[in-house]
Amino acid sequence: MANARAIVKRLKAVKNVRKITRTMELIATARFKKAMDRATEAAAYTRKIAEIVSDLSGAALSFSHPLLEPRETQQKCAVLVLTSNRGLCGGYNGGVLRRAIPRIKQLRDEGRDVTLEVSGKRGLAFLKFQGEAMDQEFTHFEDKPTFDDVDELASRYIEAYIAGDLDRLDVAYTRFESSSKQSATIETLLPIGSLGDDEPGGDEGLEAAQGSSVDYEFLPSAGEILEEIVPASFKARLFKSFLDAAVSEQIFRMVAMKGATENAGEMIDTLSMQYNRARQAQITSELSEIIGGAAALE
Amino acid sequence: MATVTEQNVGQVTQIIGSTFDAEFPEDKLPEIYNALKIDTEVKGVPVKVTGEVQQHLGGGRVRCVALGSTDGMVRGMDVLDTGAPLSVPVGKETLGRVFNLLGDPVDGRGPVETDESWPIHRHAPPLEELSSKTEIFETGIKVVDLLTPFVRGGKAGLFGGAGLGKTVILTELIARIASAHGGYSVFAGVGERTREGNDLWLEMQETKIGQSDRSVIEQTCMVFGQMNEPPGARLRVALSALTMAEWFRDTTGTDTLLFIDNIFRFSQAGSEVSALLGRMPSAVGYQPTLGTELGELQERITSTKRGAITSVQAVYVPADDPTDPAPATAFAHLDAFIYLERSISEKGIYPAIDPLASSSRVLDPQYVGDRHYAVARQVQQILQRYRELQDIIAILGVDELSEDDKQVVHRARRIERFLSQPFLVAEAFLGKPGKITPLEETIQSFEELCSGKWDHLPEAAFMYVGGVEEAAAQAKQMAEEA
Repeated sequence: MANARAIVKRLKAVKNVRKITRTMELIATARFKKAMDRATEAAAYTRKIAEIVSDLSGAALSFSHPLLEPRETQQKCAVLVLTSNRGLCGGYNGGVLRRAIPRIKQLRDEGRDVTLEVSGKRGLAFLKFQGEAMDQEFTHFEDKPTFDDVDELASRYIEAYIAGDLDRLDVAYTRFESSSKQSATIETLLPIGSLGDDEPGGDEGLEAAQGSSVDYEFLPSAGEILEEIVPASFKARLFKSFLDAAVSEQIFRMVAMKGATENAGEMIDTLSMQYNRARQAQITSELSEIIGGAAALE
Repeated sequence: MATVTEQNVGQVTQIIGSTFDAEFPEDKLPEIYNALKIDTEVKGVPVKVTGEVQQHLGGGRVRCVALGSTDGMVRGMDVLDTGAPLSVPVGKETLGRVFNLLGDPVDGRGPVETDESWPIHRHAPPLEELSSKTEIFETGIKVVDLLTPFVRGGKAGLFGGAGLGKTVILTELIARIASAHGGYSVFAGVGERTREGNDLWLEMQETKIGQSDRSVIEQTCMVFGQMNEPPGARLRVALSALTMAEWFRDTTGTDTLLFIDNIFRFSQAGSEVSALLGRMPSAVGYQPTLGTELGELQERITSTKRGAITSVQAVYVPADDPTDPAPATAFAHLDAFIYLERSISEKGIYPAIDPLASSSRVLDPQYVGDRHYAVARQVQQILQRYRELQDIIAILGVDELSEDDKQVVHRARRIERFLSQPFLVAEAFLGKPGKITPLEETIQSFEELCSGKWDHLPEAAFMYVGGVEEAAAQAKQMAEEA
C-alpha cells in the first residue's frame, strides 16, 4: 500500500490537534473555577436584591417606579444575545442562538420594532450569515465581564426605557444552574415587573419574602429607596446574565474539549492500526516479491 | 487415435498443474497459440483436453496451457496439432445460447451450427479503422449519468472490492441498456460465481426488450468460464466472447454491447498460468506480461467505422487497494471509471459509487455541455469539502464549523443520500420499483439541491428516490406516518 506515508501525516496532524484540545480543556477548567466563584457570589446578591424589590412592589405602595410598569403596547423591543468571542465550546453558541432566533422572529411577526444587540464574535458571525442586521455589536466582554462595562450598558437601557425609546428588553444567554447543568434561556429583563415570571430563582426569592413578610420602615422615604434599588436590581440581573454566560462558556468548552481529546485519541488508535497494517502489508509484499523472483531465477 | 495418420501428432512429456509439455517432430512444431487436442480414454474414462501452445522449449518440445481440466492426463498420450488457434462459432445462430470458452454450447439445447467460426486470437483494428465519434450513453442511473457519463462505443469499468455490488450494477446495466437497446449483446462470465451466471441467464429470459414480448436473451449470447474452471479457461474465455462480439460489430454493423464480469479474473488467471510457465513474477506477484495481456484484450474492444462495441466491465479490486497492479492496469483502458467505495456501502447507500474517485473522459463541457459540467463539478466540490471537514467533525463536532461549512455539510449529506437509487433488479430487496431518471431531470435535481432549494427536507427523504420531486413526496409521506 502506497498510503502509509499519508497515514503518518494524518496521524501527526491528529496528534497535534489532541495536544491543543487537551491544553484547552485544562485552561477552561482553571478559568471555570474563577468564573464560577464570581457567578455564585453575584447570584446571592442578585437574589437578595430581587427579594427586596418584589417585597417593595408587593407592599402595596401608593407610587411606583417607571421600570416596574409594563407598557400597554410593547412596540420597541430590544433583544440582547450573549455569545462567546471564541469557538471550540461545543453547542454553547448554537444553543443560545437557537433560542434567540425564534424569539426575534416571533416579535417581528407580531409587528414590533426589534433592535438586535449581540455580544461575542461567534454570534455576530452567525447572525451576519443569516443576513440579520445588528444595531449594536460588542466584542469586549471576555471571560471576566467587569461590572463597569455592564453598568454602562445597563444605564443606557434604563435611560432609553424611561425616555420611551425602549419598551421591552429580552436577553438570550446560557444560565448557569450548577456545574453539571446549564441551559440556554431567554428572559425578559425590562420591564422588571415580568421578572419573577421566568426565573425560578426569582420565585424562590418571592416565596422567601412572603414567608417572612417583613414590615419595612422606609427612611427617608419609600420613593427614594425605590429610585435607587430598582435600577440596581436591573443592573445586577444583567450583570448576573453576563457572569452566567461566562461561566457556562467555560463549562461547555471544558466538556467539548474533553470529548474532542477522547475522539482524537480514538482516531489516533484507528490510524495507528491502519498504518501498522499498511506497513506490514508493504513488507510482506516486498518479501514475497523478492523470494518469488529469486525462486523463479533458479 | 487411429484416424490421425495424416495429421501432426505428438506426445505428452510432462504435466504440471494446468500446463503440459508435448513433444513433436523437430520440423513440425506447432506454432505459438495453436490449439492442441487430446481426445482419448484412460481406463474407460474419456479424457478430452484442449491446450494452447505458449512456449517453444527446444528439442521439439512445446509448453501448453490446458484450457480444461488436466485430470486423467498421463505422459505419453497422443496430442493432435489442429494447425490453427482455437476458434469459436460466430453468427446470429449464437444468439440466445450459452457457450463455454471452446465455443461448445453448455445450455443443453443441442449443437450450434454456424457458417463461420473465427479464431479467438486476432489483431486489434488498425488505427484508420477506429471511430472517433463521442456520444453520451444515457443509463438512467443518476450518479452515473451525472458524474461518470458513459460513452456510446466506449468502455466503462466498475471497480470495487468484494461484496460492494459490482455484479448487481452490471446486471442492472444489462436490464437498463439491453432492454432499451436494439442491437446485440454479448456477456462474458470470467471467473465469477457459476450461480450468478445462472441467475443472469434466467433474469435475461424474463426481461423483455422495450415494449415487445421478445426477451433480452434472444438478442444475447453468453460465454462462461467461471471460478471452477482451470486458469487457462479463465484466461481465454474473455477472448472467446470478444470474438463473438467482434463478428456482430464487423458483419452486422450494429451497436453491440459487451459485458465482462470480471476482468480482474482474467489478469489473475494470467498470473496463475505465468507462474506455471516459469516466468519470473513481477510487482505484487503478477505476471511480467500483465500490461501486454490486458492491452491485447482491451485494444480489441473498440468501435470501428463499421460498428461499435460498447463495453461495461467489472473489475475486482483486491483488498480495496486500487493501486494494485491489476486494477491499475485496467484503469488506463477505460473511458468511464466507476469506483465503488466500502464506506459508502457501509452507510447503506447503493449503488455505492464514490462520486469523487469516479470519473469519465467525457465529463467535459465539450461533450456534456456547460450546464451538466457545472452541476457535476459543484456536486463534487460540495462533497470534497465535506470529506475534508470529516476529521474536524469527528474530533470537534459539527458545532465548531463556520456557518458556510455547516451549510456545506448540510447539503453534502443530502446529496450523498440522493446519489442512491432504487434498481430494477433490486425491487425484491428494496420493495420499491426501480427508477429510470432522465438525464435532464438528474441535472435539474442536483442543480436545485446545490442551490439549497431542498435544504428543508429531512435527510432520509433523499434515500432511494428518482427525481428530487420524489424526495419531496417521500418527505411528506414520512411526516404523515410519523
